[in-house]
Amino acid sequence: MRKSIFTLLVIIMSLPAQAKLQVVATAPNLGMLASAIGGEHVAVEVLAPPDRDLHYLEARPSMMAQLRNADLVVSVGADLEAGWLPVAIQNAGNAGIRGGQPGYFSGAQHTDLIQTNQAADRSQGDVHTKGNPHFYLDPVRMAEVGNALADRLSELDPGNGSDYRARAQGFQSEVNARMTEWHERTEDAPGVLLYHKDADYLMERLDVTILGYLEPLPGIAPTGKHLSGLVQDLKGKQAVVLYTDFQPSRAAEFIQRQLGWPHHQLSSQVQPGSDQKAYFELIDRWVEAISR
Amino acid sequence: MNTRQRLTPILAVSLLNAPAWAQQGNSTEDTSPLIINGNQFNPAISVILDGIYGNFSRKTDAPAGFGEGNEAEHGDHGNEEHGHGVEEGFQLRETEVAISGSIDPYLDASVTAAIGDEGVELEEAYVLTTALPAGFRIKAGKFLSDVGYINRQHPHSWDFVDQPWMRKFLFGDEGLNETGVQLAWVAPTAQYTRLGVEILEGENEGVANQLGDVEPGLEASTGPRLVTAFATYAPNLGYDHALQLGISGGFTDAFQQRHEHEGNVEILQGDSWFAGVDTVYKYDAPGPGGRGDFKLQAEYLIRARDLEFQEFTPNNDHFDAVGTPQTLRPKQDGAYVQGLYAIAGRWDAGLRLDAIGMANKVFEGTEREEAGTSFRYTGQLSYSPTEFSRFRTQLAYLDPDQGHAGGPSENAWQFMLQYNLSLGAHGAHRF
Repeated sequence: MRKSIFTLLVIIMSLPAQAKLQVVATAPNLGMLASAIGGEHVAVEVLAPPDRDLHYLEARPSMMAQLRNADLVVSVGADLEAGWLPVAIQNAGNAGIRGGQPGYFSGAQHTDLIQTNQAADRSQGDVHTKGNPHFYLDPVRMAEVGNALADRLSELDPGNGSDYRARAQGFQSEVNARMTEWHERTEDAPGVLLYHKDADYLMERLDVTILGYLEPLPGIAPTGKHLSGLVQDLKGKQAVVLYTDFQPSRAAEFIQRQLGWPHHQLSSQVQPGSDQKAYFELIDRWVEAISR
Repeated sequence: MNTRQRLTPILAVSLLNAPAWAQQGNSTEDTSPLIINGNQFNPAISVILDGIYGNFSRKTDAPAGFGEGNEAEHGDHGNEEHGHGVEEGFQLRETEVAISGSIDPYLDASVTAAIGDEGVELEEAYVLTTALPAGFRIKAGKFLSDVGYINRQHPHSWDFVDQPWMRKFLFGDEGLNETGVQLAWVAPTAQYTRLGVEILEGENEGVANQLGDVEPGLEASTGPRLVTAFATYAPNLGYDHALQLGISGGFTDAFQQRHEHEGNVEILQGDSWFAGVDTVYKYDAPGPGGRGDFKLQAEYLIRARDLEFQEFTPNNDHFDAVGTPQTLRPKQDGAYVQGLYAIAGRWDAGLRLDAIGMANKVFEGTEREEAGTSFRYTGQLSYSPTEFSRFRTQLAYLDPDQGHAGGPSENAWQFMLQYNLSLGAHGAHRF
C-alpha cells in the first residue's frame, strides 16, 4: 500500500516535466498554426468557435479556466479580441500570459498590417486603429507569423527549438508551393464584393479587386440605402459576393437579385483541432469561390 | 538643453511604449513619430450616457417590510427617488466615467466615477495585482463585492432599466459596494473554480449598517467590520453553452440602526449575516448576428440579524432607557429570475420576475409586523444598432403585498424608455 502511494506520488510529481506546452489560441486558424509549428510538443486549445464573430465574444468562465493553465496565449491582436481577451486574461490568475510577457503572443505584432491609418473615430464604424486585424486568411502572412511563433516556442521550450523552426519553415515552403497555383487560378477573377473587411489580406495577396463592402461601415449592418448605392455604382460590372458563416445572407441575396452576381458563404476559420491541410483546403475554397 | 538631455525622455518613452497591452503592429511602430506623446500613457477612458423616461400609473411605495422604519435611516423612503432608481418624466441617470490601466508591471487600477445631480460620486476605485503566482489575485480599494452575480455589475450592464428588487432592497441602491480588500483564487482545474474572501469596512445600509457613536446607546466599532466569502464554479460545456453557479455570504457583528418614534429613540445593534446563491446559463447560438442567443439568470439572497433592541426617551439633556433590552431577530429574503432572448440580430427581449419578502420577519418597535411577499413582473425589449449603443423599452407590473402596516400598497404599472450609450474605450464583454 505504502509503496503504491509512493509510486503514485512519483508519477504525479513527474507529470509536469513530461507535460506538453499548453497553448491556448483565440482563433481556430491560429490554433491550427500553433499545432502545425508545435507538433507533438504542444497541446492546443482554442477559445473561439469557428463560426462566431471574433469581435463579439464574451469572456466566459471556461476561457479563464483554459487560460489559468496556459503556458502561451496565441492571439490575433490589433484589438480584434479587445472586448474579451484582456478581461479573460485579467481574471484568469495567470501572471505568465499577460501582455508583454513571453507567454503572450499576438500575430498582428509579427506581420505588416494594412489599413493602419484609420482615424480613431467610431462615427466611421468599429474601426481598428492599429490596422486591419484579419490577417489570418493570408497564407503568406500566416507563414511569417508561424516563424515568429516558432521563435517564441523555442524561447519557452529551448530543447525543441530546432523542431519548431523546421516545422515553421516546412509550413512556409508549403504555402510558397501553393501560392503559385492559387495565383494562377485567380488570375482572371472578376473581383469580389465582401461583407466585412475580413478577406482584404487574401484579396490583396491574390491581386483580386475588392469592389466594395456590404457593410456601409465596419461593424454596421447593411442598410437599404447603402445597398442601393452599391447597385447603382456597380451596375454593368461582374464580381462575386463573399461573406462568412456568421454574416447574414440577405444583403448578398439582394445583390444577386439586382446584379445577377453569384454569392458564396464561406468559413473564415478552420474547425478547432485542424491541421495545416485543413487550412489550405479552406484557402482553396476561397480561391474556388473567387475564380468562379 | 543639450542633445543627450533631450533624447533621454524620448528613449524612455519609446522603451516603455512597447510592452503595454496595446498590440502594436510593426507598421504602426515604424510610423509612430519620435515625440513625447502624453496621450500614449493615458489610461483607457470610457463614458456611459444613460437617459430615461418614466411614466407610472401611480406613485409606488417600497415593498412591504422594506420601507421607512424597517430600513436604515438613510434607506429608501417609499418612492424610488435617488441613486439608480427611476423617476417619472425625463431624467439622466448617473453619467459614469470609467478609467483603467496599468500602474506598473505588478498592478492594474480602475476608477469609476458617477456624475449626477448631487455632484461626482466615486463608485469604484481599486488596484488589482497582476503578477501574483498560483492563481491568486488581490483587489484593494473601493469596489463592488463579488458576492452573487448581479452585485458587481454597473447599471449599464443590467439587462433591464432598473436592478432586481433583491439587490436594491437587501443591499441598497448601490449594491454591496464597500472599501476593503479581496483575495481571490482561480483553481488550476479544467472546470472553472474561483474562491474568494473579502474584508470590508462594513458600511452597507442593508447588511452592515454603521452609524458610529450616537447618543443614546450606540457605540462605534472600528472597521473592518464585514467579512464576505464567495465560490464560483463553471463546468466546461463547449462553445454553445455556458453555466455558472455561485454561492456567497457575509457576516458582521457591528450592525447598528436607530429610529425615532413618537419622540422616543429606538436603537438596535448586534450581528448581521447574509447568504445567497446565483446561477447564470447562456446559450450562444451559432449563425448570423447573435440571433437565438439566450440567457437565464437567477439569484436568491437572505439576510438576517440578531439585534439588541433598546428604547430611550429624552429627558432634558440626556436620555432615559425605557424598559429592558430585548433581542429581535429580523429576517428577510428576495429572489429574481430573468431570461433574455435575442429575437433577431441586435434585438433582444427579456422577462423578469422579482419576489421579495418570502421570508419577511420585521418589527415595528418590538412588535412583529405583518408583511408578506411582494412581486414585480417586468418585460423589456431592446435594440442595439452597434455594441456601443442600446435603446430599451420596459413595462413592469408591481404587485406588492397589501397587508402592510405602513399603509396600503397598490398595484401599479411602470413604463420606461432608455438609451444607454458608451463613448471611448472599448468596454469589456464580461460574462
